[in-house]
Amino acid sequence: MSTAATTERKPRSRPGHRRNASEARAGLILAVPFLLLFAVFTLWPVLQSMFMSFTDTRVNDIRSPFSVNFVAFDNYVKALSDPVFRRAALNTGVFVVVGVPLTIAAGLAAAVALDKGITRFRGVFRVGFYTPVITSIVAVAVVWRFLLQPNSGLVNTVLGFVGIDGPNWLGDTRTSLLSLIIMATWRNFGTGMIIFLAGLQSVPWNLHEAASLDGASAWQRFWNITLPLLRPTLLFVLVTTTIGYLQFFEEPFVMTQGGPLNSTISASMYTYQQFGFGNYGVAGAMAYLTFLVIVVVTIIQFRLTREK
Amino acid sequence: MKNRMRTAAALTALLALVGMSACGRDDGGGTTGEPTQQAVEEGKASGSLTMWAMGTEGEKLPDLVKKFEADNPDVTVEVTAIPWDSAHDKFTSAIAAGTTPDLAMVGTTWMGEFIGLNALDPTPDLIDPSKFFEGAQATTVVNDTSYGVPWYVETRLVFYRTDIAEKAGITEAPTTWEGLKDMAKAMQDKGGATWGIALQPGATGSWQTVVPFMWSNGGEIINDDMSEFTFDEDKNVEALAYYQSYFTDGIANKAPAQGSTEADFASGDVPMFISGPWMMASVETTGGEGFADKYDVALMPTKEISASFVGGSNLAVFKSSENRDAAWKLVDFLTTDETQVEWFGMSTDLPSVKSAWDDDALKSNEKLAKFGTQLETAFAPPPVETWEQVSASLDAQVEKVTKTGTDPAEALKTVQQEATSIGMG
Repeated sequence: MSTAATTERKPRSRPGHRRNASEARAGLILAVPFLLLFAVFTLWPVLQSMFMSFTDTRVNDIRSPFSVNFVAFDNYVKALSDPVFRRAALNTGVFVVVGVPLTIAAGLAAAVALDKGITRFRGVFRVGFYTPVITSIVAVAVVWRFLLQPNSGLVNTVLGFVGIDGPNWLGDTRTSLLSLIIMATWRNFGTGMIIFLAGLQSVPWNLHEAASLDGASAWQRFWNITLPLLRPTLLFVLVTTTIGYLQFFEEPFVMTQGGPLNSTISASMYTYQQFGFGNYGVAGAMAYLTFLVIVVVTIIQFRLTREK
Repeated sequence: MKNRMRTAAALTALLALVGMSACGRDDGGGTTGEPTQQAVEEGKASGSLTMWAMGTEGEKLPDLVKKFEADNPDVTVEVTAIPWDSAHDKFTSAIAAGTTPDLAMVGTTWMGEFIGLNALDPTPDLIDPSKFFEGAQATTVVNDTSYGVPWYVETRLVFYRTDIAEKAGITEAPTTWEGLKDMAKAMQDKGGATWGIALQPGATGSWQTVVPFMWSNGGEIINDDMSEFTFDEDKNVEALAYYQSYFTDGIANKAPAQGSTEADFASGDVPMFISGPWMMASVETTGGEGFADKYDVALMPTKEISASFVGGSNLAVFKSSENRDAAWKLVDFLTTDETQVEWFGMSTDLPSVKSAWDDDALKSNEKLAKFGTQLETAFAPPPVETWEQVSASLDAQVEKVTKTGTDPAEALKTVQQEATSIGMG
């Protein structure tokens, strides 16, 4: 589910100017190809899927998508009363609540370190931290599965050196979701880091200089100068990361298939499964529920981090 | 400007109305009339054919089809290889758009769905349905009409390490439920194995091992006229309890690492598992030279019967085909004894035609021959449209039973409820 942001501005009409009318027409004509494509490939599927979520559409109906029965909110009720979907929603919630702060903190820490702390091999580190973002999840999953193997995996071997008997990371319901959160953090903090790095460039050095003359410690300067100035950047990273994590899908899909005992199934993945089973109506309803949550969460985030 | 806006709004409203009024299902039912089985014209095939096939079959099929083209000079066959991952979506969208190929390889579990979509042509008399293994042939039948033929098959056997069994004092393969469990336990106690047997503790596909135990116990998961599921009958509960006992008695691992079966088998950590013919090549590669002598396969243990799962793929001709007769002739060619044996040589896919197993290529390999024997009593899940979803519900409950010790009767009652509410499509 992606929401296309479209900004269409109405041409300002100034009465009495003929030239403007013809300009407006030209503008409209120029916009028509885009509008047509947008209507056919974005607007139509969105409306169709919304329509679908209020009907009893199943895979058998794909040949005649309109000869289905209207069922009002039945699909939404069905989705909300499905214990697996509720479990999936809970997992997704935990994933977001734990994963987003972790990812942002890691991204910010890496950015600050690269900006100020690390002076040698800066390029190497920058590439290194960003590599997970652009690596294929399938390849990453294979490596992580090896790392997390209960008996011979690197993680448990290292834990064994210090006398800790490591758990069966992906096979235990208590650690499976946590493992995926850590993996997702590792995979995604590079994006935040790059954006924070850019944001840090805009923090004027003279403010830091003045503050340190006044005796502010590095921590105080970070807290009172860097962070407030980074607010717009922070908001951007927060919103994009949250939207991404609310739709988390790939990690459980390739690592655990949602198991063990549904401990890692996510809302998106369960929706995908329902589509696979041919229950287009219910799956559509689930997708719109996720969409609704994303909208609400995003609005709240904008409110909370708005400049006062 | 305002005027135009109003027109647009009116148009939208009109469209919405049209959409609404077009809503609602026909009461007459989607598929009108009985399926009609038409004869195939005699003589050589002609014209052009397109065929879809998945995976390695798709890659290797063009070579086999060359012979068909040589026999029928007027025909050209174009084989399109499609990856398994996207195959199902590709089929359903092609059916919706009416752009299906003439014929295709179809996964056995998709048959119910495609037949429900009214997309497949009933099998003509040209092909004798009794030449195939019964369990495999059953995957093509809905309401007494067959819509395709089995192309190749696979079934599951018990793989075990002969050397470790010997160490544990066992020289003959087990034939009963108790025998299998005793053997697993003995290999664990005396054979130095960590776990006696590798069984799947739920998750996708575990039903393929669990349901055969139900069949073995004389149970059924669907009633005879396929109108109701019967998951919660006593015989099925018994079978699931037996499956569970491997986990509660500590003979099977509740949380095995993914993809470690071959390595654990080769190292002797887990000297038994239940799987299909492709595992022979896998374990022999992992085990290295001479490993073929260290293991054997055995028929599934018997309670009332020795039952196993039959998988594989079917061949089906699509209704929308404009060259249907030639398509069925190609299907006929692909299911002759000779072609089936040749195909086995090319792809190692096991023949679905019983008489093809009399060929030396299959008979001479003792392990392989046992798969042939098991195929006589190997069964497929019922060809209902919703099987994927129903089996996912069973998989979820099997996971609860094996990992958290849920009561098998309770679990199957849940499956029964869920399956009933899912329905048959």
